[in-house]
Amino acid sequence: MATVLDIDNLSKSYGSLQALDRLTLNVEKGSIYGLLGPNGSGKTTTLGIVLNVLKPDRGSFRWFGSPVSRATKHRIGALLETPNFYPYLTAKRNLQIAADIKGVGHSNINKVLDLVGLGTRSNTSFKGFSLGMKQRLALASAMLSDPEVLVLDEPTNGLDPQGIAEVRDLILRIAAQDKTIILASHLLDEVEKVCTHVAVLQQGKLRANGEVSNILSANEEVIISTPDTVPALELLARLPYIISFRQDKQNIVLTLQDNYSSLDVNRDMFAQGIVLSQLFVRRKSLEAQFLEIIKE
Amino acid sequence: MNLLRIELRKVLPYRTFWFILGIYALLMVLILYASSHITVNGTDLGTTAFTLPELWQRLTYVASYFNLLLGVLIIILVSDEYSFRTIRQQVIDGLSRQDVVMAKFFVVLTLAITSTVFLLVIGLYFGLVHGTNHSLSAIFSQSDFLLYYLVQAVAYMSLALLVSFFLRKSGLSIIAFIAYAKIIEPIIHFNVPDTLDKYMPMKVFNSLTPMPGQEILDQLTMPTELLSPAWAVLPSLLYIGLLLLLSFYTLKLRDI
Repeated sequence: MATVLDIDNLSKSYGSLQALDRLTLNVEKGSIYGLLGPNGSGKTTTLGIVLNVLKPDRGSFRWFGSPVSRATKHRIGALLETPNFYPYLTAKRNLQIAADIKGVGHSNINKVLDLVGLGTRSNTSFKGFSLGMKQRLALASAMLSDPEVLVLDEPTNGLDPQGIAEVRDLILRIAAQDKTIILASHLLDEVEKVCTHVAVLQQGKLRANGEVSNILSANEEVIISTPDTVPALELLARLPYIISFRQDKQNIVLTLQDNYSSLDVNRDMFAQGIVLSQLFVRRKSLEAQFLEIIKE
Repeated sequence: MNLLRIELRKVLPYRTFWFILGIYALLMVLILYASSHITVNGTDLGTTAFTLPELWQRLTYVASYFNLLLGVLIIILVSDEYSFRTIRQQVIDGLSRQDVVMAKFFVVLTLAITSTVFLLVIGLYFGLVHGTNHSLSAIFSQSDFLLYYLVQAVAYMSLALLVSFFLRKSGLSIIAFIAYAKIIEPIIHFNVPDTLDKYMPMKVFNSLTPMPGQEILDQLTMPTELLSPAWAVLPSLLYIGLLLLLSFYTLKLRDI
Protein backbone atom coordinates (compact mmCIF):
# COMPACT_ATOMS: atom_id res chain seq x y z
CA MET A 1 0.00 0.00 0.00
CA ALA A 2 1.36 3.39 -0.96
CA THR A 3 1.62 6.06 1.71
CA VAL A 4 -0.41 9.17 0.96
CA LEU A 5 0.58 11.25 3.96
CA ASP A 6 3.60 10.70 6.14
CA ILE A 7 3.74 12.83 9.30
CA ASP A 8 7.01 12.70 11.20
CA ASN A 9 7.42 14.06 14.70
CA LEU A 10 5.36 17.23 14.26
CA SER A 11 5.24 19.70 17.12
CA LYS A 12 3.67 23.11 17.40
CA SER A 13 2.93 25.42 20.28
CA TYR A 14 0.97 28.64 20.55
CA GLY A 15 2.82 30.57 23.23
CA SER A 16 2.88 28.33 26.28
CA LEU A 17 0.19 26.01 24.90
CA GLN A 18 1.59 22.86 23.34
CA ALA A 19 -0.96 22.28 20.60
CA LEU A 20 0.81 19.35 19.02
CA ASP A 21 3.45 17.19 20.63
CA ARG A 22 5.66 14.96 18.46
CA LEU A 23 2.92 13.50 16.31
CA THR A 24 3.91 10.71 13.95
CA LEU A 25 1.33 9.19 11.63
CA ASN A 26 1.01 7.38 8.34
CA VAL A 27 -2.03 7.50 6.12
CA GLU A 28 -2.24 4.71 3.55
CA LYS A 29 -3.84 5.07 0.16
CA GLY A 30 -7.49 4.08 0.10
CA SER A 31 -8.10 4.43 3.81
CA ILE A 32 -10.60 6.67 5.54
CA TYR A 33 -8.46 8.00 8.30
CA GLY A 34 -10.15 9.59 11.30
CA LEU A 35 -8.44 12.07 13.59
CA LEU A 36 -10.43 11.78 16.76
CA GLY A 37 -10.17 13.93 19.83
CA PRO A 38 -11.97 16.44 21.97
CA ASN A 39 -11.94 20.13 21.05
CA GLY A 40 -8.45 21.55 21.43
CA SER A 41 -6.72 18.20 21.06
CA GLY A 42 -4.67 19.27 18.02
CA LYS A 43 -6.75 17.93 15.12
CA THR A 44 -7.11 21.23 13.29
CA THR A 45 -3.50 22.16 14.07
CA THR A 46 -2.37 18.89 12.47
CA LEU A 47 -4.47 19.47 9.38
CA GLY A 48 -3.43 23.15 9.22
CA ILE A 49 0.22 22.14 9.16
CA VAL A 50 -0.09 19.45 6.51
CA LEU A 51 -2.25 21.82 4.44
CA ASN A 52 0.60 24.35 4.46
CA VAL A 53 -1.13 27.20 6.32
CA LEU A 54 0.38 26.65 9.78
CA LYS A 55 4.09 26.41 10.41
CA PRO A 56 5.30 23.51 12.57
CA ASP A 57 7.90 24.27 15.25
CA ARG A 58 9.56 20.94 14.56
CA GLY A 59 9.04 17.85 12.47
CA SER A 60 8.12 17.31 8.85
CA PHE A 61 5.50 15.79 6.61
CA ARG A 62 5.36 14.49 3.06
CA TRP A 63 2.46 14.09 0.66
CA PHE A 64 2.78 11.21 -1.82
CA GLY A 65 6.44 11.01 -0.78
CA SER A 66 7.22 14.65 -1.70
CA PRO A 67 7.38 17.93 0.19
CA VAL A 68 4.28 20.12 -0.13
CA SER A 69 4.10 22.00 -3.45
CA ARG A 70 1.58 23.28 -5.96
CA ALA A 71 1.58 19.82 -7.51
CA THR A 72 0.77 18.01 -4.25
CA LYS A 73 -1.86 20.62 -3.35
CA HIS A 74 -3.65 20.02 -6.63
CA ARG A 75 -4.07 16.35 -5.72
CA ILE A 76 -5.85 17.25 -2.47
CA GLY A 77 -9.25 18.75 -1.77
CA ALA A 78 -9.60 20.23 1.68
CA LEU A 79 -11.82 22.12 4.03
CA LEU A 80 -10.30 23.44 7.23
CA GLU A 81 -12.40 24.68 10.17
CA THR A 82 -14.84 27.01 8.46
CA PRO A 83 -16.15 27.36 4.90
CA ASN A 84 -14.02 30.18 3.47
CA PHE A 85 -15.61 32.15 0.66
CA TYR A 86 -16.26 35.71 -0.49
CA PRO A 87 -19.62 36.63 1.07
CA TYR A 88 -20.57 39.02 -1.74
CA LEU A 89 -19.99 36.49 -4.52
CA THR A 90 -22.45 33.82 -5.62
CA ALA A 91 -21.76 30.14 -5.03
CA LYS A 92 -20.86 29.73 -8.67
CA ARG A 93 -18.43 32.67 -8.78
CA ASN A 94 -16.77 31.48 -5.59
CA LEU A 95 -16.23 28.08 -7.17
CA GLN A 96 -14.87 29.68 -10.35
CA ILE A 97 -12.13 31.29 -8.26
CA ALA A 98 -11.43 27.98 -6.51
CA ALA A 99 -11.30 26.18 -9.89
CA ASP A 100 -8.83 28.74 -11.29
CA ILE A 101 -6.56 28.29 -8.27
CA LYS A 102 -6.77 24.51 -8.45
CA GLY A 103 -5.94 24.73 -12.15
CA VAL A 104 -9.08 22.93 -13.35
CA GLY A 105 -11.71 24.04 -15.83
CA HIS A 106 -15.14 25.36 -14.89
CA SER A 107 -16.97 22.39 -16.37
CA ASN A 108 -17.14 20.57 -13.02
CA ILE A 109 -18.82 23.41 -11.14
CA ASN A 110 -22.41 22.51 -11.88
CA LYS A 111 -21.70 18.86 -11.23
CA VAL A 112 -20.28 19.37 -7.74
CA LEU A 113 -23.02 21.86 -6.87
CA ASP A 114 -25.61 19.24 -7.81
CA LEU A 115 -23.70 16.64 -5.84
CA VAL A 116 -24.08 18.62 -2.60
CA GLY A 117 -27.63 19.69 -3.36
CA LEU A 118 -26.89 23.33 -4.16
CA GLY A 119 -27.59 23.10 -7.89
CA THR A 120 -30.60 25.42 -7.66
CA ARG A 121 -28.78 27.92 -5.43
CA SER A 122 -25.72 28.47 -7.62
CA ASN A 123 -26.60 32.12 -8.17
CA THR A 124 -27.29 32.93 -4.52
CA SER A 125 -24.56 34.92 -2.83
CA PHE A 126 -22.60 33.11 -0.14
CA LYS A 127 -23.71 35.46 2.66
CA GLY A 128 -27.30 34.40 2.07
CA PHE A 129 -26.49 30.75 2.79
CA SER A 130 -27.35 28.91 5.99
CA LEU A 131 -24.49 27.31 7.91
CA GLY A 132 -25.37 23.91 6.46
CA MET A 133 -25.36 25.27 2.91
CA LYS A 134 -22.00 26.97 3.50
CA GLN A 135 -20.58 23.69 4.73
CA ARG A 136 -21.91 21.88 1.68
CA LEU A 137 -20.44 24.54 -0.62
CA ALA A 138 -17.07 23.96 1.05
CA LEU A 139 -17.44 20.24 0.34
CA ALA A 140 -18.32 21.00 -3.26
CA SER A 141 -15.20 23.16 -3.55
CA ALA A 142 -13.04 20.41 -2.05
CA MET A 143 -14.32 17.96 -4.68
CA LEU A 144 -13.99 20.40 -7.57
CA SER A 145 -10.78 18.97 -8.95
CA ASP A 146 -11.81 15.34 -8.36
CA PRO A 147 -8.84 14.98 -5.97
CA GLU A 148 -7.19 11.74 -4.89
CA VAL A 149 -7.29 12.82 -1.26
CA LEU A 150 -9.99 14.66 0.66
CA VAL A 151 -9.07 16.36 3.92
CA LEU A 152 -12.17 17.22 5.90
CA ASP A 153 -12.13 19.05 9.21
CA GLU A 154 -15.40 18.47 11.09
CA PRO A 155 -17.35 18.10 7.84
CA THR A 156 -20.72 17.58 9.51
CA ASN A 157 -20.39 20.61 11.77
CA GLY A 158 -23.53 22.71 11.69
CA LEU A 159 -25.52 20.30 9.57
CA ASP A 160 -28.95 19.00 10.54
CA PRO A 161 -29.43 15.24 11.01
CA GLN A 162 -30.43 14.76 7.39
CA GLY A 163 -27.43 16.79 6.23
CA ILE A 164 -25.14 14.76 8.47
CA ALA A 165 -26.45 11.52 7.01
CA GLU A 166 -26.00 12.89 3.48
CA VAL A 167 -22.44 13.99 4.09
CA ARG A 168 -21.50 10.64 5.61
CA ASP A 169 -23.08 8.86 2.71
CA LEU A 170 -21.17 11.13 0.34
CA ILE A 171 -17.88 10.38 2.11
CA LEU A 172 -18.47 6.64 1.83
CA ARG A 173 -19.37 6.96 -1.84
CA ILE A 174 -16.23 8.97 -2.55
CA ALA A 175 -14.09 6.51 -0.61
CA ALA A 176 -15.52 3.69 -2.69
CA GLN A 177 -13.84 5.29 -5.73
CA ASP A 178 -10.39 4.38 -4.42
CA LYS A 179 -9.88 7.80 -2.83
CA THR A 180 -8.23 8.51 0.48
CA ILE A 181 -10.08 10.56 3.06
CA ILE A 182 -8.63 12.19 6.14
CA LEU A 183 -11.34 13.26 8.51
CA ALA A 184 -11.07 15.17 11.78
CA SER A 185 -13.93 14.82 14.17
CA HIS A 186 -14.78 15.00 17.84
CA LEU A 187 -17.70 12.63 17.25
CA LEU A 188 -16.79 9.04 18.00
CA ASP A 189 -19.92 7.82 16.44
CA GLU A 190 -18.98 9.56 13.19
CA VAL A 191 -15.49 8.09 13.12
CA GLU A 192 -16.84 4.65 13.92
CA LYS A 193 -19.46 4.81 11.20
CA VAL A 194 -17.25 6.25 8.49
CA CYS A 195 -13.57 5.50 9.09
CA THR A 196 -11.36 2.49 8.49
CA HIS A 197 -8.47 3.85 10.56
CA VAL A 198 -8.33 6.19 13.50
CA ALA A 199 -5.80 8.19 15.47
CA VAL A 200 -6.90 9.38 18.88
CA LEU A 201 -5.45 12.71 19.95
CA GLN A 202 -5.56 14.38 23.32
CA GLN A 203 -3.79 17.59 24.25
CA GLY A 204 -1.65 17.34 21.16
CA LYS A 205 -0.45 13.83 21.87
CA LEU A 206 -1.20 10.67 19.96
CA ARG A 207 -2.98 8.30 22.36
CA ALA A 208 -3.75 5.41 20.05
CA ASN A 209 -3.90 4.67 16.35
CA GLY A 210 -4.73 1.80 14.07
CA GLU A 211 -7.73 0.16 12.50
CA VAL A 212 -11.04 1.29 13.87
CA SER A 213 -12.08 -2.28 14.68
CA ASN A 214 -8.99 -2.69 16.88
CA ILE A 215 -9.07 0.64 18.62
CA LEU A 216 -12.70 1.35 19.18
CA SER A 217 -14.28 -2.06 19.61
CA ALA A 218 -11.79 -3.37 22.11
CA ASN A 219 -13.74 -5.00 24.87
CA GLU A 220 -17.20 -5.79 25.91
CA GLU A 221 -18.92 -5.35 29.21
CA VAL A 222 -20.72 -8.03 31.18
CA ILE A 223 -23.55 -6.86 33.34
CA ILE A 224 -24.80 -8.97 36.19
CA SER A 225 -27.33 -8.56 38.99
CA THR A 226 -27.74 -10.67 42.05
CA PRO A 227 -29.51 -10.36 45.40
CA ASP A 228 -26.19 -11.31 47.08
CA THR A 229 -24.35 -8.17 46.09
CA VAL A 230 -21.80 -8.15 48.90
CA PRO A 231 -20.36 -11.66 48.42
CA ALA A 232 -20.46 -11.16 44.66
CA LEU A 233 -18.29 -8.05 44.96
CA GLU A 234 -15.88 -9.90 47.23
CA LEU A 235 -15.58 -12.72 44.73
CA LEU A 236 -15.06 -10.37 41.77
CA ALA A 237 -12.13 -8.77 43.55
CA ARG A 238 -10.48 -12.21 43.69
CA LEU A 239 -11.18 -13.43 40.15
CA PRO A 240 -7.98 -12.95 38.07
CA TYR A 241 -9.63 -12.40 34.69
CA ILE A 242 -11.73 -9.43 35.80
CA ILE A 243 -10.03 -6.26 34.64
CA SER A 244 -12.42 -3.94 36.39
CA PHE A 245 -15.85 -3.86 37.94
CA ARG A 246 -18.13 -1.22 39.30
CA GLN A 247 -21.55 -1.01 40.78
CA ASP A 248 -24.14 0.68 38.65
CA LYS A 249 -27.42 0.98 40.57
CA GLN A 250 -28.48 -2.60 41.29
CA ASN A 251 -26.22 -3.99 38.55
CA ILE A 252 -22.53 -4.75 38.55
CA VAL A 253 -20.63 -3.90 35.37
CA LEU A 254 -17.56 -6.00 34.57
CA THR A 255 -14.77 -5.79 32.07
CA LEU A 256 -13.15 -9.13 31.29
CA GLN A 257 -9.77 -10.07 29.90
CA ASP A 258 -9.65 -11.40 26.37
CA ASN A 259 -10.49 -15.11 26.03
CA TYR A 260 -12.88 -14.99 28.97
CA SER A 261 -16.63 -14.65 28.63
CA SER A 262 -19.82 -14.34 30.61
CA LEU A 263 -19.77 -18.14 30.81
CA ASP A 264 -16.77 -18.05 33.15
CA VAL A 265 -18.37 -15.43 35.36
CA ASN A 266 -21.59 -17.40 35.64
CA ARG A 267 -19.77 -20.67 36.46
CA ASP A 268 -17.58 -19.12 39.17
CA MET A 269 -20.47 -17.26 40.75
CA PHE A 270 -22.58 -20.39 40.89
CA ALA A 271 -19.66 -22.39 42.31
CA GLN A 272 -19.59 -19.96 45.24
CA GLY A 273 -23.34 -20.25 45.72
CA ILE A 274 -24.12 -16.85 44.24
CA VAL A 275 -27.10 -16.97 41.93
CA LEU A 276 -27.40 -14.34 39.29
CA SER A 277 -30.81 -12.90 38.54
CA GLN A 278 -29.51 -11.23 35.42
CA LEU A 279 -26.55 -11.68 33.11
CA PHE A 280 -26.00 -9.98 29.80
CA VAL A 281 -23.24 -8.73 27.55
CA ARG A 282 -23.15 -5.39 25.83
CA ARG A 283 -20.61 -3.45 23.84
CA LYS A 284 -19.02 -0.64 25.75
CA SER A 285 -20.48 2.74 25.00
CA LEU A 286 -18.26 4.72 22.67
CA GLU A 287 -17.83 7.40 25.28
CA ALA A 288 -16.62 4.85 27.79
CA GLN A 289 -14.12 3.46 25.29
CA PHE A 290 -12.90 6.89 24.40
CA LEU A 291 -12.39 7.88 28.00
CA GLU A 292 -10.51 4.63 28.53
CA ILE A 293 -8.21 5.33 25.59
CA ILE A 294 -7.29 8.81 26.71
CA LYS A 295 -6.91 7.69 30.33
CA GLU A 296 -4.16 5.21 29.50
CA MET B 1 -1.55 36.46 -15.72
CA ASN B 2 -3.68 33.70 -14.30
CA LEU B 3 -3.18 35.34 -10.90
CA LEU B 4 -4.49 38.65 -12.20
CA ARG B 5 -7.52 36.93 -13.72
CA ILE B 6 -8.30 35.37 -10.36
CA GLU B 7 -7.94 38.74 -8.63
CA LEU B 8 -10.26 40.38 -11.14
CA ARG B 9 -12.87 37.70 -10.45
CA LYS B 10 -12.72 38.77 -6.81
CA VAL B 11 -12.78 42.55 -7.19
CA LEU B 12 -14.88 43.31 -10.26
CA PRO B 13 -18.18 42.25 -8.61
CA TYR B 14 -17.15 43.92 -5.31
CA ARG B 15 -19.15 47.05 -4.57
CA THR B 16 -16.59 48.50 -2.12
CA PHE B 17 -13.96 48.38 -4.87
CA TRP B 18 -16.04 50.48 -7.24
CA PHE B 19 -17.15 52.79 -4.45
CA ILE B 20 -13.58 53.77 -3.55
CA LEU B 21 -12.53 54.13 -7.20
CA GLY B 22 -15.64 56.27 -7.73
CA ILE B 23 -14.66 58.56 -4.86
CA TYR B 24 -11.16 58.86 -6.30
CA ALA B 25 -12.43 59.83 -9.75
CA LEU B 26 -15.10 62.17 -8.43
CA LEU B 27 -12.75 64.04 -6.10
CA MET B 28 -10.13 64.49 -8.85
CA VAL B 29 -12.66 65.91 -11.28
CA LEU B 30 -14.24 68.11 -8.62
CA ILE B 31 -10.91 69.62 -7.59
CA LEU B 32 -9.95 70.34 -11.18
CA TYR B 33 -13.35 71.77 -11.91
CA ALA B 34 -13.28 73.95 -8.81
CA SER B 35 -9.79 75.28 -9.54
CA SER B 36 -10.95 76.50 -12.92
CA HIS B 37 -13.43 78.80 -11.20
CA ILE B 38 -11.00 80.50 -8.87
CA THR B 39 -10.56 84.14 -9.75
CA VAL B 40 -7.26 85.80 -8.88
CA ASN B 41 -6.84 89.56 -9.44
CA GLY B 42 -9.84 89.66 -11.74
CA THR B 43 -8.65 86.97 -14.09
CA ASP B 44 -10.18 83.54 -14.19
CA LEU B 45 -7.49 81.10 -13.08
CA GLY B 46 -9.06 78.44 -15.24
CA THR B 47 -7.18 79.28 -18.37
CA THR B 48 -3.78 79.46 -16.65
CA ALA B 49 -4.39 76.52 -14.33
CA PHE B 50 -5.07 74.28 -17.28
CA THR B 51 -2.28 75.42 -19.52
CA LEU B 52 -0.38 72.52 -21.01
CA PRO B 53 2.30 71.36 -20.44
CA GLU B 54 2.43 72.73 -16.86
CA LEU B 55 -0.90 71.07 -16.20
CA TRP B 56 0.76 67.64 -15.98
CA GLN B 57 2.78 68.61 -12.95
CA ARG B 58 -0.23 70.23 -11.24
CA LEU B 59 -2.41 67.27 -12.01
CA THR B 60 0.03 64.64 -10.71
CA TYR B 61 0.77 66.76 -7.63
CA VAL B 62 -2.93 66.89 -6.77
CA ALA B 63 -3.36 63.20 -7.58
CA SER B 64 -0.45 62.27 -5.30
CA TYR B 65 -2.65 63.06 -2.29
CA PHE B 66 -5.23 60.58 -3.47
CA ASN B 67 -2.67 57.79 -3.53
CA LEU B 68 -3.64 57.43 0.11
CA LEU B 69 -7.11 56.47 -1.09
CA LEU B 70 -5.67 53.85 -3.44
CA GLY B 71 -3.59 52.56 -0.54
CA VAL B 72 -6.71 52.28 1.60
CA LEU B 73 -8.39 50.30 -1.19
CA ILE B 74 -5.46 47.86 -1.28
CA ILE B 75 -5.58 47.51 2.51
CA ILE B 76 -9.27 46.66 2.33
CA LEU B 77 -8.70 44.06 -0.39
CA VAL B 78 -5.89 42.38 1.56
CA SER B 79 -7.54 42.47 4.99
CA ASP B 80 -10.73 41.07 3.41
CA GLU B 81 -8.76 37.98 2.47
CA TYR B 82 -7.92 37.55 6.14
CA SER B 83 -11.39 38.25 7.52
CA PHE B 84 -13.06 35.98 4.93
CA ARG B 85 -10.19 33.49 5.51
CA THR B 86 -10.03 33.10 1.75
CA ILE B 87 -6.25 33.56 1.84
CA ARG B 88 -6.12 30.36 3.90
CA GLN B 89 -8.28 28.43 1.48
CA GLN B 90 -6.30 29.66 -1.51
CA VAL B 91 -2.99 28.60 0.00
CA ILE B 92 -4.57 25.21 0.77
CA ASP B 93 -5.90 24.97 -2.79
CA GLY B 94 -2.60 25.67 -4.50
CA LEU B 95 -1.17 29.19 -4.14
CA SER B 96 2.27 29.70 -2.64
CA ARG B 97 3.06 32.65 -0.36
CA GLN B 98 4.85 34.22 -3.28
CA ASP B 99 1.75 33.81 -5.47
CA VAL B 100 -0.36 35.56 -2.82
CA VAL B 101 1.94 38.61 -2.80
CA MET B 102 2.35 38.68 -6.58
CA ALA B 103 -1.41 38.42 -7.15
CA LYS B 104 -1.99 41.50 -5.01
CA PHE B 105 0.94 43.29 -6.66
CA PHE B 106 -0.72 42.70 -10.03
CA VAL B 107 -3.79 44.44 -8.61
CA VAL B 108 -1.52 47.30 -7.52
CA LEU B 109 -0.07 47.59 -11.03
CA THR B 110 -3.52 47.45 -12.61
CA LEU B 111 -4.85 50.18 -10.32
CA ALA B 112 -1.78 52.36 -10.87
CA ILE B 113 -2.03 52.04 -14.65
CA THR B 114 -5.78 52.68 -14.56
CA SER B 115 -5.42 55.83 -12.46
CA THR B 116 -2.56 57.08 -14.66
CA VAL B 117 -4.68 56.60 -17.78
CA PHE B 118 -7.50 58.37 -15.97
CA LEU B 119 -5.19 61.33 -15.28
CA LEU B 120 -4.11 61.35 -18.92
CA VAL B 121 -7.74 61.49 -20.03
CA ILE B 122 -8.87 64.26 -17.68
CA GLY B 123 -5.61 66.12 -18.27
CA LEU B 124 -6.23 66.08 -22.01
CA TYR B 125 -9.86 67.08 -21.51
CA PHE B 126 -9.19 70.05 -19.22
CA GLY B 127 -6.05 71.05 -21.11
CA LEU B 128 -7.67 71.06 -24.51
CA VAL B 129 -11.06 72.44 -23.50
CA HIS B 130 -9.97 75.06 -20.99
CA GLY B 131 -6.28 75.53 -21.72
CA THR B 132 -4.85 77.85 -24.33
CA ASN B 133 -1.90 75.97 -25.74
CA HIS B 134 -3.00 73.10 -27.97
CA SER B 135 0.22 72.27 -29.81
CA LEU B 136 1.44 68.69 -29.78
CA SER B 137 4.70 69.68 -28.12
CA ALA B 138 2.77 71.40 -25.34
CA ILE B 139 0.65 68.35 -24.79
CA PHE B 140 3.45 65.86 -24.54
CA SER B 141 6.55 67.79 -23.49
CA GLN B 142 6.02 67.30 -19.75
CA SER B 143 3.90 64.21 -19.87
CA ASP B 144 6.75 62.29 -18.20
CA PHE B 145 5.12 63.43 -14.94
CA LEU B 146 2.48 60.81 -15.65
CA LEU B 147 5.17 58.12 -15.56
CA TYR B 148 6.52 59.52 -12.28
CA TYR B 149 2.99 59.42 -10.93
CA LEU B 150 2.65 55.78 -12.02
CA VAL B 151 5.75 54.85 -10.04
CA GLN B 152 4.49 56.83 -7.06
CA ALA B 153 1.08 55.13 -7.09
CA VAL B 154 2.73 51.71 -7.21
CA ALA B 155 5.02 52.71 -4.34
CA TYR B 156 2.20 53.97 -2.09
CA MET B 157 0.14 50.85 -2.72
CA SER B 158 3.16 48.60 -2.12
CA LEU B 159 3.55 50.19 1.30
CA ALA B 160 -0.17 49.55 1.88
CA LEU B 161 0.40 45.91 0.88
CA LEU B 162 3.13 45.42 3.46
CA VAL B 163 1.15 47.14 6.22
CA SER B 164 -1.97 45.06 5.56
CA PHE B 165 -0.11 41.73 5.25
CA PHE B 166 1.59 42.59 8.52
CA LEU B 167 -1.39 43.82 10.53
CA ARG B 168 -4.21 41.89 8.77
CA LYS B 169 -6.98 44.05 10.24
CA SER B 170 -8.32 46.79 7.97
CA GLY B 171 -8.93 49.52 10.57
CA LEU B 172 -5.58 49.11 12.21
CA SER B 173 -3.77 48.94 8.86
CA ILE B 174 -5.44 52.07 7.50
CA ILE B 175 -4.48 54.05 10.61
CA ALA B 176 -0.91 52.74 10.55
CA PHE B 177 -0.56 53.42 6.81
CA ILE B 178 -1.77 57.03 6.98
CA ALA B 179 0.05 57.70 10.25
CA TYR B 180 3.35 56.51 8.77
CA ALA B 181 2.96 58.39 5.50
CA LYS B 182 1.70 61.66 6.92
CA ILE B 183 2.89 61.86 10.54
CA ILE B 184 5.64 59.46 11.56
CA GLU B 185 8.01 59.87 8.63
CA PRO B 186 7.53 63.67 8.43
CA ILE B 187 8.45 63.87 12.15
CA ILE B 188 11.58 61.86 11.44
CA HIS B 189 12.38 64.29 8.61
CA PHE B 190 12.50 67.14 11.13
CA ASN B 191 15.19 65.38 13.11
CA VAL B 192 17.33 64.15 10.26
CA PRO B 193 19.49 66.32 8.00
CA ASP B 194 18.10 66.90 4.49
CA THR B 195 21.03 65.15 2.86
CA LEU B 196 19.86 61.95 4.52
CA ASP B 197 16.10 62.25 4.74
CA LYS B 198 15.76 62.89 1.02
CA TYR B 199 16.37 59.16 0.65
CA MET B 200 13.66 58.14 3.10
CA PRO B 201 10.76 56.30 1.44
CA MET B 202 7.90 58.79 1.73
CA LYS B 203 10.18 61.68 0.77
CA VAL B 204 11.48 59.77 -2.23
CA PHE B 205 7.93 58.89 -3.32
CA ASN B 206 6.77 62.47 -2.88
CA SER B 207 9.77 63.76 -4.85
CA LEU B 208 8.22 62.09 -7.89
CA THR B 209 5.44 64.68 -8.00
CA PRO B 210 6.97 67.94 -6.70
CA MET B 211 4.74 70.82 -5.78
CA PRO B 212 4.34 73.31 -8.64
CA GLY B 213 6.08 76.56 -7.73
CA GLN B 214 8.39 74.89 -5.21
CA GLU B 215 11.24 76.97 -6.61
CA ILE B 216 9.49 80.22 -5.68
CA LEU B 217 8.73 78.91 -2.22
CA ASP B 218 12.35 77.91 -1.76
CA GLN B 219 13.48 81.46 -2.42
CA LEU B 220 11.29 82.73 0.40
CA THR B 221 12.13 80.08 2.98
CA MET B 222 14.94 77.67 3.65
CA PRO B 223 15.15 75.49 0.54
CA THR B 224 14.34 71.86 1.22
CA GLU B 225 16.58 69.41 -0.47
CA LEU B 226 14.66 67.01 -2.69
CA LEU B 227 15.61 64.52 -5.35
CA SER B 228 14.46 65.54 -8.81
CA PRO B 229 11.59 63.36 -10.09
CA ALA B 230 13.89 61.58 -12.53
CA TRP B 231 16.43 60.85 -9.80
CA ALA B 232 13.71 59.60 -7.47
CA VAL B 233 12.62 56.83 -9.85
CA LEU B 234 15.44 54.41 -9.13
CA PRO B 235 15.28 54.62 -5.30
CA SER B 236 11.48 54.35 -5.56
CA LEU B 237 11.77 51.14 -7.56
CA LEU B 238 14.24 49.80 -4.99
CA TYR B 239 11.80 50.61 -2.19
CA ILE B 240 8.98 48.90 -4.08
CA GLY B 241 11.10 45.78 -4.40
CA LEU B 242 11.99 45.93 -0.71
CA LEU B 243 8.33 46.36 0.33
CA LEU B 244 7.33 43.33 -1.75
CA LEU B 245 10.17 41.27 -0.31
CA LEU B 246 9.15 42.19 3.25
CA SER B 247 5.52 41.33 2.42
CA PHE B 248 6.65 37.93 1.22
CA TYR B 249 8.69 37.27 4.36
CA THR B 250 5.81 38.44 6.55
CA LEU B 251 3.71 35.67 5.00
CA LYS B 252 6.49 33.12 4.97
CA LEU B 253 7.44 33.43 8.62
CA ARG B 254 3.95 33.31 10.11
CA ASP B 255 0.86 31.12 10.16
CA ILE B 256 -1.83 32.13 7.69
